[in-house]
Order: sequence, then structure tokens, then C-alpha cells
Amino acid sequence: MLARPALPSFDYVRANTPDEVVRLLQEHGQGARLLMGGTDLFVRMRDGVIRPQIVVDVKHLPGMRSIEYDEVTGLTVGAAVTMNQLARHPQVQTHYPLLAEAANSVASYQVRNRATLGGNLCNASPAADTAPAVLVLEGRLVLHSSQGEREVAARDFFTGPGQTAMRENEFLKAVRLPPLPAVSAGKYLKLGRNKVGDLSIVGVAVFAFPDGTVPSGYVFRIGLASVAPVPLRAWEAEEVLATHSPGEESFALAAEKAMEAATPIDDVRASAAYRKAMVRALTRRVLGSVWEVLE
Amino acid sequence: MKTQIVGRSLPRVDAWDKVTGQARYPGDFSMPGMLHGKVVWSEYPHARVRRIDTSKAEAHPGVVKVITYKDVPVNEYGINIYDQPVLVAEGDKVRWVGDRIAIVVAETERAAEEARRLVKVDYEPLPVVSDPREAMKPGSPLVHDERSNTNILHHIKIRKGDVEAGFAQADVIVEGYYITPYVEHAYLQPEAGLGYIDEQGRVTIVSAGQWPHDDIHQIAHLLNLPEDRIHEIVPAVGGAFGGREDMYIQHLLALCAYVVRRPVKIVFSREESITRTGKRHPFYLRHRWGATSDGKLMAVEIEGISDAGAYASTSIPVLANATSFFAGPYVVPNARIDGYTVYTNNAVTMAMRGFGATQPPVAYEQQMDKLAEALGMDPVELRLKNLFDEGSVAVTGNAMPPGVGIKETLRQAALAAGWREENGRWRRPDLGQPAALHKRRGIGVACAYKNVGYSFGFDDKTTARVELSLEESGAIGRARVRVGASDVGEGVHTALAQIAAEALGVPLERVEMAPLDTAEVPDAGSSSASRHVYISGNAVLRACQEAKTRWERALREESGETHIEAEYTFHGRNARPTTSYDPQTGQCEPHISYGYATQIALVEVDTETGEVDVLKVWAAHDVGRAVNPEMVMGQIGGGVHMGLGYALMEEFIQQEGLVRTRKFAEYQIPTVLDMPPEIVPIIVEVPDPTGPYGAKGLGEMTTLPTAPAILNAIYDAVGVRLEWLPATAERVLSGFRSRRGFGNLNGAGHQPGEKR
Ligand SMILES: Cc1cc2nc3c(=O)[nH]c(=O)nc-3n(C[C@H](O)[C@H](O)[C@H](O)COP(=O)(O)OP(=O)(O)OC[C@H]3O[C@@H](n4cnc5c(N)ncnc54)[C@H](O)[C@@H]3O)c2cc1C
Repeated sequence: MLARPALPSFDYVRANTPDEVVRLLQEHGQGARLLMGGTDLFVRMRDGVIRPQIVVDVKHLPGMRSIEYDEVTGLTVGAAVTMNQLARHPQVQTHYPLLAEAANSVASYQVRNRATLGGNLCNASPAADTAPAVLVLEGRLVLHSSQGEREVAARDFFTGPGQTAMRENEFLKAVRLPPLPAVSAGKYLKLGRNKVGDLSIVGVAVFAFPDGTVPSGYVFRIGLASVAPVPLRAWEAEEVLATHSPGEESFALAAEKAMEAATPIDDVRASAAYRKAMVRALTRRVLGSVWEVLE
Repeated sequence: MKTQIVGRSLPRVDAWDKVTGQARYPGDFSMPGMLHGKVVWSEYPHARVRRIDTSKAEAHPGVVKVITYKDVPVNEYGINIYDQPVLVAEGDKVRWVGDRIAIVVAETERAAEEARRLVKVDYEPLPVVSDPREAMKPGSPLVHDERSNTNILHHIKIRKGDVEAGFAQADVIVEGYYITPYVEHAYLQPEAGLGYIDEQGRVTIVSAGQWPHDDIHQIAHLLNLPEDRIHEIVPAVGGAFGGREDMYIQHLLALCAYVVRRPVKIVFSREESITRTGKRHPFYLRHRWGATSDGKLMAVEIEGISDAGAYASTSIPVLANATSFFAGPYVVPNARIDGYTVYTNNAVTMAMRGFGATQPPVAYEQQMDKLAEALGMDPVELRLKNLFDEGSVAVTGNAMPPGVGIKETLRQAALAAGWREENGRWRRPDLGQPAALHKRRGIGVACAYKNVGYSFGFDDKTTARVELSLEESGAIGRARVRVGASDVGEGVHTALAQIAAEALGVPLERVEMAPLDTAEVPDAGSSSASRHVYISGNAVLRACQEAKTRWERALREESGETHIEAEYTFHGRNARPTTSYDPQTGQCEPHISYGYATQIALVEVDTETGEVDVLKVWAAHDVGRAVNPEMVMGQIGGGVHMGLGYALMEEFIQQEGLVRTRKFAEYQIPTVLDMPPEIVPIIVEVPDPTGPYGAKGLGEMTTLPTAPAILNAIYDAVGVRLEWLPATAERVLSGFRSRRGFGNLNGAGHQPGEKR
């Protein structure tokens, strides 16, 4: 019940090489925490939820703050790229506007100057606003450990609230997004209690493109935030849209399926019942506006 | 009256220091050898304290002293009744989570923080009293068993005319049961301050108080010291809104300094500020109103119950105010009104912008709209038929004194918002097209009024002293005004300086407001009740008039004086005496003066999510005389902001006495993007002849009509009556869906732990 007004003491290490990070993680185990923008980490430390002895700043490692685009391989976003950097990057705006939109929906401008894409994903909050976009863009997370690098698909990354597929001495280096089809559309809608910076009550991202190999002629991908222990894809809803031709009817049906996929909780921000109803309402709305662009 | 300085939007006297970061707030003060204090708070909303073990905390490195009840000379305080212990004693009870067990004083903030967790308290939990409506019933567990055999702290009755006969004459009757929430003051600057013993051996406090002279009075009692052995310095204040009217840290700072004889600083975290300090009263309001078919109010029956929380604070005067406003600014021939305030184990409730005038309009303005609908009458027209004029008789039997501008505020706001008047009939404006198919537009009107100054026979007074330094030529070089009015950010020092400059006939730059130290400036009462411009303004005006007379005489007599002084004590009762409620009928002369307001809100409601966008607010305020129009507009913007939060999102939630909204991530206040893109301020000036240059009061009135105007607009848009604040998207949608027969959202609209 005691309020903690200040950060507890800790050692700060600014890591210069990936190997140094891995070594520190091995040495200290749970006692070490990685730092990028700190907008999740320091809040949790201040609240006394975690009490690491050592905080390892990883945002100055090579490549952590760069954004690279290539028509063949797609987009590579360094883990420590900030939300504002991402939202304003010309190639992100041109080729991945959904990602820019999602980054822009996080918190307030000031927080977005520090908050990073990697931090948002590693923190693995069910409410992470960039997670639905990364899920529907079929992003892959580049993880580094003493064994070298491996990639994990976003859909396999989130395993529980605050839990990820990262191993003890692994850390996130970058997020890779595949190149997108020539024609596509995406949108993220977020419902919060206020218009700046509230965590979402519900977040819905939709990404869609024409695809002749699919019965309906279109692929629709739907990602949800804040409505389950982890950010998730609404697979059954997507299936509906793969088999039914796009339009109000199939959107309503898909929205119903998305609602069924949601298993939200009651909290001070909203009841579970409202959250479920909002998954349906927002999914329908986002599907409609994405379709308007594609049609 | 023609004036030179009063009525002009001159820059605020504190503006430069504040924008350049030079102004010092209480948390900015430090001293050599200073210690840090941390409070050990109660862990239970209701429990008996069996034992307090401070040994581990005392042994912690850096700890100088763990102060407990044993160190408090007279362990009781309270702004109205001494019903609060400073620190809870072994064998006594904690009555809410804001009760204090001990204060740990240490060489560093960190040591104090660590040690406060080492104080071990053995509690015997007691049943928690969490709903005032249940707490009123006989047999409820008692919050103050040693004081009384009921939790009802106070009951007020108003009886006027014959209510049964009134309802019998009514053609329509409308009812409602309205619930307003607990609200957090949410000022920018959390509680902070410094206590020390000064060179003269006096207990000294630097803190943000609204009524520092009363703090001294209470501290003298609890330290058992004469008042002149204590003084309080009030530097820049980062907002107050009533939350600093009662002591929240002043007594703790004084106690620390008194016990350890060294400077001690205490700074509350935002969580402490939210969870451990007082709030605005929730009210449960049951209304039944009757009117004739031509729209004349015939009778009202109203019961209002407020949650006083664990200690009285100002709950009794807040209830007294609220009860006098339950029926609104309307002429009602027959009334039966009951107001209760009840102890619970919830957060202490206290003054907050409106002091009991903020909750009533949520009910009475929705009642008015319900009547308008039942009668098929325009809401503006219906209100104009019933609103006060000068001399109208209120439910308390008093005639409204000169300066009644309520109809004028309604007319001007309605015309500005696009209403048309033809031969006494009013027609609403066309609202334009909503931004999307799933959105609906609505417009809502609300009127409200509130007292200026302390009421019900309380001797409301301010003493002001003015000192003129004369130049060799005999001209006034400098006018120093000494008055104990705390500028809590609203700009009272600027307003009083303008009044002084006007009265003395000197430029504003020649007037200097003396810094607020209770030992150096006389008592001016509290920065509350929208009273300083009227009460303290009158004191400053008269002190200056007297000084000017003496100065003119000195010039005539060529006395060669270089220094002239004058002092004046203005009593509200000299302008208009007030009386307390008659215990049987409630008839009385309740208030000294009044401010009046109308606001109109245009909203857009999303019928799929329940979200409400406020597109525009027209705010017409009768201030008597705007001493500084720019500052009036600033108050209007701030008042609308608070009212919008009250309407749509602010709710301090407790569950069985435990706080669930502990930080701003949980307790929402509106952001800049939630504000309407446009607020149209309309300043109305119907002077009160007893006010300085005709001025009345404004600060609180700016927030009163906002919430009901928005609620009425939501109803206009989607036909959903929100009698239970705040109107969150979830509640709006839930109401909309059940109205449309879509069925309920399966429990949506109700948050866990809330009872209706
Ligand atoms: C006022 C406020 C408002 C907010 N609003 C939103 C909002 O609207 N939407 C939203 O989604 N979030 C919001 N957040 C949360 C937060 O800002 C975001 O999650 C942000 O993206 C986190 O990034 P960061 O760089 O600050 O992460 P950090 O706090 O630095 O790190 C987050 C977590 O990841 C770990 N970590 C850091 N780097 C690595 C790495 N390279 N590899 C593995 N693990 C790592 C850290 O140890 C920590 O556990 C808000 C936060 C605040 C304070």
C-alpha cells in the first residue's frame, strides 16, 4: 500500500556490444534488466513491481536506432527506434502507413520521443498499441544470444501478459517486416478513455490486400489489443473473409468472430462486456474503412 | 462606473516569475541540515490499532525519529469539528486509508522511505462502512462510536408552502435519482512543504494553504501553543480547488519541526496525493418535481445524501450550501427538502470548486429538461418562466438581493448558440450534420448559481492594510497591500492590486502585494467561496479609500509625511447579514451575494462506441463586474475543463474503502484533445451594489453548468438520460442499447464494486 515516490538505486551500464549484453544477462539473470526508452521499465521500478540491481542500456548498440528499407527484403526497424522516429520516417509512411499510424497512437508526443517499438513489444502488455500492426504485417523479431541470432514470428512471440518467447539471455535487436503487396490497405483504431495517451480499452488493426489464390479474392488480417492476455490475431474472423466476398455482411460476421476470439477482463477502464462489444464495433468499422481504400 | 484600471485585462502580477521559472512553490524550499519526513499511512479503511512497533524503523540507519501519537500534545484537529487524530493512537481506530499512524523523520528521503516500511502495526480489522445510504440505517456499524450512536453527521430540512397541494395543482410530475461521483482535485502541484523553528523560536511552515490563518489556529490547538508562536508562509501555489482549504500537510510539518527541532521537508507522491487526501462529495439525489401545463413550477420534493467520508472536514457547511441550491435558481412555491451528510470509511470529503453547488445542478438541470420534454416546451423558454429575478423568493424564504443576472446569462448564451426568440417563444437552432453516419448531434442548456462568501451567519471578514510610501513631491511612490489572501493560481493578487490601484489612482506597477506570511499580513479568510474579489476586494478598496483620504489631507496640510497607513476590516454582514437554517423549516437568509451562470454544450455522440465529443461550449457568466476580463475568460476555460471531466470521465473509485484509482493512469482527467475546439466566453455584468465596483464572484461558478449542459446534450442527441456520473462511453452506449431494445451489454456500464 505504500507509495514509492522515487526510483530505487541500481547500477547503470551502457552496453557497447551485443556480447557485452549477453554476458551481463548471463551474469545477473533476473537481477539485470534491459533499458531502451524506460517508459515501461522505470514506471515498474518506481512502483516497486521489479527491483533490478543492474540496468543495461542497449539503445546505443550498433543498428539499434536505424530504419532500413529494401524492396526485396522489406523493412528492418532497430529495436530502439522511437515511436516518433518511426511515425515520421518517409519510407515507413509510404510503404507501411499502418505501422506509422500505430506508432502514432501510443501515448503522447512527449512519451513517443522516448518510447520505442522494441520496448513496446518486449514489454508484452496486452494493450501494446504497435502489437496488432506488427502481427498483421507478419513481422518477425530478431533475437540475439550467445548462440547468435534467430528470428521469431510476431504471432509466436507473445506468450502471456509480460511474457514472451525470448530466452533468459536473449535480447531484441530488430523487427523485420516483409515487403508488402503492390496494392494493400491497413488501419488501426484505438479506443481509450481520453484522446491522448490513455492505454487502449480496445485496439483493432486490419491489413488487407487482393490475392487471387484466396476464394474471396482478398486476404484480410485482423489484430487485436487489450482484449486477451496477449495481443492476438483473430484467425476465425480472417477465415470468414477468406471465404466470403468482402461487404457489409461478411464484415459483420467477421466482427462477430473477432468478438468471440476476445477474452477480456473487467478493470477500472472498462468492463469485459463493453470490451467485447467494442471489438465487434471497431472491427466492423476498420474493415469498412480498409475496404473503402481497396475497392 | 467609469474606471481606469478595473475592467482592463492587465498582465498578472505573478506572470513574469511564473513563466520564467523564478516563482518558488513549496516543494522548492530546502534548508541546511534539513531532514525528510514520510508518513506511515493506515493499511485499513476501518480497524482498531492494537500495537505500533517502531523499533525496527528507529534502528534503521539515518532515522532521526519516528513520531507517533505519543508526541502530539493535543491529538485532535478539524476545520469544523475536532474529530480527526493527527496520528492514530494504540487502542484507537483508523477510519480510512488516509489516517496516519506515524511520521518517519530521517536524514535522507530514501532512509525515511525505507524506514516507513519497517513500522509494524497490528490491526484488528472492523466492518467497513462504505455506502452512506446503508450507513444511515439504525444498526449500521459506527464510524465514530465514541461520538454518537448514528453515522448521520448532519441533517437539514427545508419546508416551504404545502407540497401536497402543490403536486395536486401540477399537470406534470417528473422524477429522477441522480448520483454524482467522488472527484479528485488533481492540482498540478502535489502536497509539499517545509517545517522549521525560526530564529525567534516560532514554529514555521512553508506550504500551500488556502486559509493559512485558520491552519495556524488549528495547529496552535494541537501543539498547545499560543498562535503567535506559529506562522505559515504561503509561496506560489500550484492549484488548490478547495483541496488545500483543510490542512493536509501543514499540521504534519508543524509537528515534525516542533518534535525534532530541525527543518523537515515532506513531499507527497502523486499516489499519496490521490489516495490519501480529501475529495469532492458524492451525492445521492432523489428528485420529484411538479409543474403546471404552462410551465410554472409548483412543487419540489428532494432528498440529498452526501458521503462525508471518515471525518467531518467541511461536510456540514458543504451540505448546508448544497441543500440551499437543491432546487436551483428557480421560484418554487412549495418545497420539501432534506439534506443529510453521513460518516463512512471512505475518503474524507471536503471543499472542491463549488462547495456543494456543483452536484445539485446535475440533478436540477436534468429535472428542468425532463419537465420541458413532458410539457413539449423549449428548455430555454421553460427556464425563463421560472428563473429568479431580483426580489424573487428562494426556497429558504429569502428575497434574492440586487444583482440577479441569471436570465441575462441564459438569454445571451441561447442567442449566441443560435436560439431564436419570437414573441416570447424560443426556437432551438439547427445543429448541422454530424461527422459520420453513426454519430448524432445534440445540444443542451444548463443554468446554475452559487453564493459568494461564507453563509448562514458565519462572520465572513477580511482585514486589509495598505501602506503608502510618498515621494518627495508628495506623490504616491509605492503602495504596499497587506492582506492574507492566498493566490492559489486564480489571480486574486492581480485582482486585488487592480482594485487598490483604481482606488488610489496610481498605475498598477506602483502597487505591491506583500508576500503571504501569517505573521506579516492580516487574516483574509480562505481562498474559497468565490469570495476574495467581493469580500477582500471590499476590504482593500476601503483601506485604500481611507489611505487616500489621509494622503490628500497630508498634502493639504503639507505635513511632510513620507509614510501613510490605513487598515480596514470588511464584514460580509455589514453588506448583508445572513442567518442559519431554522431547524424546523429551514427558512433563513442564507447567503451574502451570488454569481450566476448559463452554459450551452453542443455534442456529438458515437452510437456504436458511446464516445461523446463536446464540439462547442457557450459560457455566459454574470460576474457583476469583470475586474480583469482576460482572467475571467481564463477561469471560464478552466471551469469548463473541470466540468467536462466531471461529466464524462472523472471518478475516484473505492471498493470497500480501498482506492482503485490510484494514479493518473487510472483516474482520468480531460486532456487538451478532449476539450471542445471552441469555448465562447460571454461576460455578463449585472452589478451587485455592495460589491467593489459592482463585482461579485466567479471562480466556482464557471464549472457548475458544464456537466448538466453536456448531459442534456447527450439526451438530446441519443435519448439517453445519464443520471449517474460520469457519462463514460460505456455507460452512454449501455443506455443507448437498452433504449433501442438491443438488450443490455451483459453487465456493461457497471464497474465492479459499484452499487446502484
Ligand atoms: C504516460 C505513458 C503512456 C503510455 N501510453 C501507451 C499507449 O498509449 N500505448 C502503448 O502501447 N503503450 C503506452 N505506454 C507504454 C510504453 O510507453 C510503451 O510500451 C513503450 O513503447 C515502451 O518502450 P520503451 O523503449 O520505453 O521500453 P523500456 O521501458 O525501455 O523497456 C520495456 C521492457 O522491455 C525490456 N527491454 C528493453 N529493451 C529490450 C531489448 N532490446 N530486448 C529485450 N527486452 C528489452 C525492458 O527491460 C522492459 O521490461 C505508455 C507509457 C507511459 C509512461
